[in-house]
Amino acid sequence: MSGADQVHTSTENGFDAGEVIIGHVSNSSPEHPILQLPTIFGIDFSITKHVLMLWIVASLVFIAITWTVRKYIKQESPVPSGFMTALEAVVQFIRDSIVLPNVGKKYLNTWTPLILTFFFFIFSANAIGLFPIFDVIGAINRFIFGGSSHDHSFVNSLLHGGMTATGNYNVTAGLATITFFAIILAGSKAHGFINYWKNIAPSGLAWPVYIMLIPIEVIGMFVRPFALTMRLAANMTGGHIAILAIVSFVFIFTGLFNSVLAGIGVGVLISVPLAVAISALEIIIIIVQAYVFTMLTAVFIGMAINIHH
Amino acid sequence: MIKIDDLANSFSYLQKIIKRSGPAMGASYTLIGAVLILGAIGYFLDKWQDSSPIFLMIGLLIGIIVGFYEIAKIMWIKPHK
Repeated sequence: MSGADQVHTSTENGFDAGEVIIGHVSNSSPEHPILQLPTIFGIDFSITKHVLMLWIVASLVFIAITWTVRKYIKQESPVPSGFMTALEAVVQFIRDSIVLPNVGKKYLNTWTPLILTFFFFIFSANAIGLFPIFDVIGAINRFIFGGSSHDHSFVNSLLHGGMTATGNYNVTAGLATITFFAIILAGSKAHGFINYWKNIAPSGLAWPVYIMLIPIEVIGMFVRPFALTMRLAANMTGGHIAILAIVSFVFIFTGLFNSVLAGIGVGVLISVPLAVAISALEIIIIIVQAYVFTMLTAVFIGMAINIHH
Repeated sequence: MIKIDDLANSFSYLQKIIKRSGPAMGASYTLIGAVLILGAIGYFLDKWQDSSPIFLMIGLLIGIIVGFYEIAKIMWIKPHK
């Protein structure tokens, strides 16, 4: 039986792996919003799963960090304890190893807060995607409270779409847009607005060179945030797709052999061990991706400040 | 058994490597980004004008030029101590 026939068979049995995987990593569709809001000027303002996740992550990061730092400031001993110790170590690491080598001493305190905010927000948004919170709520609702999976209840609306907001290109594009304006602002602050644009290409070259160089520089300005957008979203989506594809073997094999035992066998021998291994790898990925985004932001801001032509 | 001093040394060496890796990371992602974005623009222009593969080739070529120019720029920057 060919691969296409196998997929067709699984579809015939009511399980479409592609649809299920996309449904679990993408944003909730406009037909299943968390909160239905009116469309104004052609823009649907309904609250989708990823918007809800952004709010949850932003609130969690704000409350956890503000509360910890305020508690530390109020205490008599200058020695940090508990979560503050970890927080201080991360802040110091990002400031000294990421911001300082790229941005320089003069603007260190200007740009460290933005880069730290990026790191904590992206890390938390990546990390929350590893916890199947809403799926557990859905399972409790269905199997303990006897809720239906087909009605339009609030719990069911939470089950549509993925948890990782940073796997959505719109979210990463929003973050990269902040970086784009931060780069311009950093250059303008360091050299003055006019001088920043004058410095876009090296001075003292023959005029025909500028005809080529200025468009290259302008394209380069847009390429940097684009690279940030694609990289973060693709990396965050890729890991989840891999896990879901491996888990879907259970249902595909159940359909193929028309036997639950075949599905359980594949699950126990292949799907679960592999999914656990990839999930462990995902823990590293969520840290690395947050780190790479902040590192690249620092590099690009540093390039605008320290012009070396 | 792992000694605390060894761990501290390993961490400080990791920090040193990370400090150096920033520009290289920026350069590589910018090269990929430039080729992808300009290649995509070329591809859609070809689809619109039905001129495949002229704009795609031009897009990829400009992408490579922009990417390597950005690499050169990033590599010229000296990190701050």
